[in-house]
Amino acid sequence: MKNLLFTLLLSILIVPLFLNAQTTDTIKAKDLFGDLKARHIGPALMSGRINDMETHPTNPRIIYAGTAGGGVWKSNDSGTTFNSIFDEYCQSIGAVAVDPNEPDNVIYVGTGETWTRNSVSIGDGLYKTTDGGSTWNKIGFEKSERIANIIINPKNSKEIYLAVLGALWSDSDERGVYKTIDGGATWEKVLYINPKTGCADLAIDPSNPNILYASMWEFRRTAWSFESGGENSALYKSVDAGKTWNKIHNGFPKGKLGRLAIAVAPSDPNVLYTVIEAEKDNRKGLYRSDDAGKNWKQLNNDFGITVRPFYFSRLVVDPKNPDVIVKGGLTGSISRDGGKTFKDLGNMHSDIHDIAFAINDSDILYAGTDGGVYRSWNGGTTMEIVENLPLSQFYHVSVDNEEPYNIYGGLQDNGSWYGPSRSSGGIKAKDWKSIGGGDGFRVYKHPTKSIIYSEMQGAANVWRYDVDKKLIKTIQPLPKKGDPKLRFNWNAPIAISNFKPDRIYIGSQFLHKSENMGDTWKIISPDLSTNDKAKQEQENSGGLSIDNSGAENHTTIFTIAESPIDENIIWVGTDDGNVQVTTNGGKSWVNTSTDISGLPKNTWVYHIEASSHDKATAHAVFEGHTTGDMKPYTYKTMDYGKTWTNIITEDVIGFVRNIQEDYENPNLLFLGTEFGLYITLDGGNSWSKFTNNMPSAAIHFIDLHKKTNDLVIATHGRGIIIIDDISPLREITPEMMKEKVHFLNSKPTIMVDQGGFSGNFGSETQFVGANPTRAAQIKYFLPKRHTFGKMTLEIQDLEGNKITTLSPGKSKGINIVNWPYSIKQPKAAKGKTFSFGSFTSPRVKAGKYKAILTKSKETYEHEFEVVYDERTGLSKSDRELKYNTTMEMYDMTQELAYMVYELDAIYEETKDDNKKIAADLKELKETLVITTGDNYVGSAEPQLREKMADLYSKIAGSYDKPSDAELDNLVVIEDRFNKAKKDFEKLKKKAKVDDLELKTFDEFINE
Amino acid sequence: MKTLKLLLLTLIIGFSFNANAQTADEIIENYFENTGGIDNWEKVEGIKMYAKINQNGMEIPLEITQLKGGKQMTVINFQGKEIKQGVFDGETLWGINFMTQKAEKNDKETTDNMKLEKNDFPDPFLNYKAKNYSVELLGKETIDGAETFKLKLVKEPITVDGKKEENISYYYFDTENFVPIVVHSEIRSGQFKGQVSEAKMSDYQEVDGIYFPYSLTQGIKGQGGQPINIDKIELNPKIDDSAFTFPEETETTTPAEETKK
Repeated sequence: MKNLLFTLLLSILIVPLFLNAQTTDTIKAKDLFGDLKARHIGPALMSGRINDMETHPTNPRIIYAGTAGGGVWKSNDSGTTFNSIFDEYCQSIGAVAVDPNEPDNVIYVGTGETWTRNSVSIGDGLYKTTDGGSTWNKIGFEKSERIANIIINPKNSKEIYLAVLGALWSDSDERGVYKTIDGGATWEKVLYINPKTGCADLAIDPSNPNILYASMWEFRRTAWSFESGGENSALYKSVDAGKTWNKIHNGFPKGKLGRLAIAVAPSDPNVLYTVIEAEKDNRKGLYRSDDAGKNWKQLNNDFGITVRPFYFSRLVVDPKNPDVIVKGGLTGSISRDGGKTFKDLGNMHSDIHDIAFAINDSDILYAGTDGGVYRSWNGGTTMEIVENLPLSQFYHVSVDNEEPYNIYGGLQDNGSWYGPSRSSGGIKAKDWKSIGGGDGFRVYKHPTKSIIYSEMQGAANVWRYDVDKKLIKTIQPLPKKGDPKLRFNWNAPIAISNFKPDRIYIGSQFLHKSENMGDTWKIISPDLSTNDKAKQEQENSGGLSIDNSGAENHTTIFTIAESPIDENIIWVGTDDGNVQVTTNGGKSWVNTSTDISGLPKNTWVYHIEASSHDKATAHAVFEGHTTGDMKPYTYKTMDYGKTWTNIITEDVIGFVRNIQEDYENPNLLFLGTEFGLYITLDGGNSWSKFTNNMPSAAIHFIDLHKKTNDLVIATHGRGIIIIDDISPLREITPEMMKEKVHFLNSKPTIMVDQGGFSGNFGSETQFVGANPTRAAQIKYFLPKRHTFGKMTLEIQDLEGNKITTLSPGKSKGINIVNWPYSIKQPKAAKGKTFSFGSFTSPRVKAGKYKAILTKSKETYEHEFEVVYDERTGLSKSDRELKYNTTMEMYDMTQELAYMVYELDAIYEETKDDNKKIAADLKELKETLVITTGDNYVGSAEPQLREKMADLYSKIAGSYDKPSDAELDNLVVIEDRFNKAKKDFEKLKKKAKVDDLELKTFDEFINE
Repeated sequence: MKTLKLLLLTLIIGFSFNANAQTADEIIENYFENTGGIDNWEKVEGIKMYAKINQNGMEIPLEITQLKGGKQMTVINFQGKEIKQGVFDGETLWGINFMTQKAEKNDKETTDNMKLEKNDFPDPFLNYKAKNYSVELLGKETIDGAETFKLKLVKEPITVDGKKEENISYYYFDTENFVPIVVHSEIRSGQFKGQVSEAKMSDYQEVDGIYFPYSLTQGIKGQGGQPINIDKIELNPKIDDSAFTFPEETETTTPAEETKK
């Protein structure tokens, strides 16, 4: 007891000391990101891989899609559109299950994709919601890595079976079939074979929930091979709710088995189907049992049934007809004769992983593919794509220097693309352009020419595309006399020189350099990999079904970084753990990663970031997930790799694939992990997860746009995500965090004149990516959220005249307030209808302005600048003419408004006693404003107010100076207004209403 | 040593006690206490807010009125013309059509859902048990950089496109002063159905002894929102009932009556 007390005491006393010591050189950023928000731009036109499709048991409008890297999406409109409901958690999904007894509230999500291709991500457990998806709780299985099925007893929601496929790259005993009888509080492992064999598929007899079928699969992947099948793969049945299990192999092929699917026909539970991966080709394929698994009969071994079992072993039976069965596959296959014959499903993206029939009408079905979700209304004959699932799985991203800049990247099974960072009306599917086929990886724009480089898997093609001339050629290095076989990674690295625009680098096991855009190549290194022959036998990869797609190519270069400071310094990282550096343009190389503290040998070098602050400095990211090592590794060197220092803290969860250094603040770093984005403000002493609209998606690559300071993030499952202008993060220091309000700097804002037409037709059910703002931004830092008392923000000119008021942000940390550099719209005369032109808010003059923030009676000032858009080509005098004419009409509009106000008041005063004057006033008013009609096609003939407003809006809204036509028209309006003013003055005198109390002009305008 | 033990014991117990001290009811109690006291809240008969929104440089003045019993309306002032929106007299929900400037009724489902909110004035948490609402404390969450208690509020089920749905919203109460600073709820109908709406509240200020947020920002979670700034709040305003009544224009006679004529 004494000891315990002492320890407790010690921990209480020591912990605060320790914390203090820590905080001296760390800046915890977690709560400070405030208004910095992630902006999703998709695209959704090629969508991304789907793992699991689920329906709601009673409501046909509700459909769920569990995706490979983009979380869980829910449709409320029978699959027309979907919304993400799982942003904050692991985005790699194995299975989604809806509680049949409480389907609106209770949903389970098993994380970890189960189609175990080379690029597959990992899960981190089982989640449950009891409120329809608003809040989720993890209920275990942290080490399960991938969950294949969740089956809830339809008669007892507390009883749940879980199929855990488990770890792909390593042994693990957290796999097999688990059961809970208390709704997930406690679990019992009811079927387990060995650390290499997991449950790939699980089915229940809906009429007798004590009967279960489990397909157990022996499998293993390494970075250089894949093995499906073994003595332990088998199909099991339990008739006692999981207590005992027996193999049901009567009629099965002899020898080793691979991945099996199992399906029970819901309308006749004695009918079972399985698809079998076997040793002999002629014994592979579809098997059926009509006696609940006692006997099996082989029915079909067509290509569509046997293709790539690790990727496509999924069978789905029509809920209403035991003889209608769908099989996942390259195209997907459907049988309507109980599995004897199949035809392909209708045209859609290839690689179909799951199918769900609508609950009430089997003509309607939903297919999950490598390119998103498809719907069919005619039993699978024609398929249409869901257009609002931005699940694109990028491997890489780069940007160019256009305005707006473009974003380039390659995607898993979806080629390479580029699209704009902004587009009129939002970034739509039609804004993206294809720039390469196959699986896409690195894509780069030539720094000065209208040329784009892209590639497909294993550098089988490296394209050079002349965008203007529309000319394509391939430029990948080829072996010349005396060269060994070139080994290119599946995701082969390409780099563009920072110094010579025509220079590019490509890595095989050698570093290749070209000075003429890929026409001639020179090898400038020895084999930089370990050249371990044991890791080069890809033609034997696959296990029972050979699978030599090139995806397992190993002992290759994976990342190339030319120093932004010195072109002779080049860093190269290999997939087998070497960090090689040359400081003489390739004449000699040093392997610097032979002894890095805390880093297992041969850990994949995923990215090297050569510093732009110091040429001896670099950051290297390592990741060992293909050996089952899920730890984050990131190191920094400041001496060309002689020594490496760990910069990862325990804040970081998930293995790391990329790091991006800020160009200005060397302590500001961005880390892309398998579970999202982390940011450090203190060079890696502490890391904070960025969660403002940023899902926990796997990040494969990050780029920072030099001019806009936009952080452009390639996610593998949620498309491209941008954090616009990260520059406020550069300024955060412990000192400023103590101030009550601290204004952050911003560059002078260009008042952009460019516009465009958005053409929104057809985008109603499409994903449309958000645009960045063009407004001037007032940025400030608050040490604490403002909740009590008034806080206001006013814009003034330098003389202190009020220009406008804005709504200030109140969040702790960074606040960003947008000002569209305009003053409020003029007050318009009251008529029967609206004068739409007067809704225009005119822009201010270029120049310096002050933001005045008032908080708790104290005021804080900040000066900032807005400038004209030089691209428009207007001279100073053009700008002056435009501004002065606009403001002349602005004032005129308000003058007319006041005149109509006066007129109405006098009319009211005179209408009973002085009918003649009243009638004259009424007549005058009818020429000033519209007094009849409506705001649509019932509108009346426009009067002075409308004509004035239309011209005002035309001039204020144009990029140009007022034209002669506009100025001539202004004369007409002025004349008419002057005449009206005179007429009104006369009537006013005649009316003799001197006693009438009226608001002054200023009172009227500012009321 | 004894004292030390005692001290430690209090530390440990005190700590765990603190962690569990707050129940949902205590948070709600604290909220009403800190914003004027439950008695004052119960006396509120009506609220009228004078506010402005600013949309891309365009400033739009609004007057929002809510009365006990559910009567409410928003009056937008455009170029001197008053456009009523979301007017509810307890039975009929209506608004002015911008094109014709004539009153039109909302659909029955929206109106029926609005009727369910009649008992929400002036605050859904006020005597929530009597309304058969349920409240649950889900834990603490940091939002806008402030530590909050996340409370789940379940009200009467609403009907959406012909189907009954639970009416759930999540309130985030600042742990420091127990006022709600953010409300989340799922958008139930329209183009954004299925997304989460977010309302942020700040600038709490006193009006006749009760604190109200003078700044509201409404939008879709994660995408920023539209700020509404309140210039003035008037409690218990005098408003003629007729202001809420739908101005009938169409013939409402039945076909049978038609033939009689």
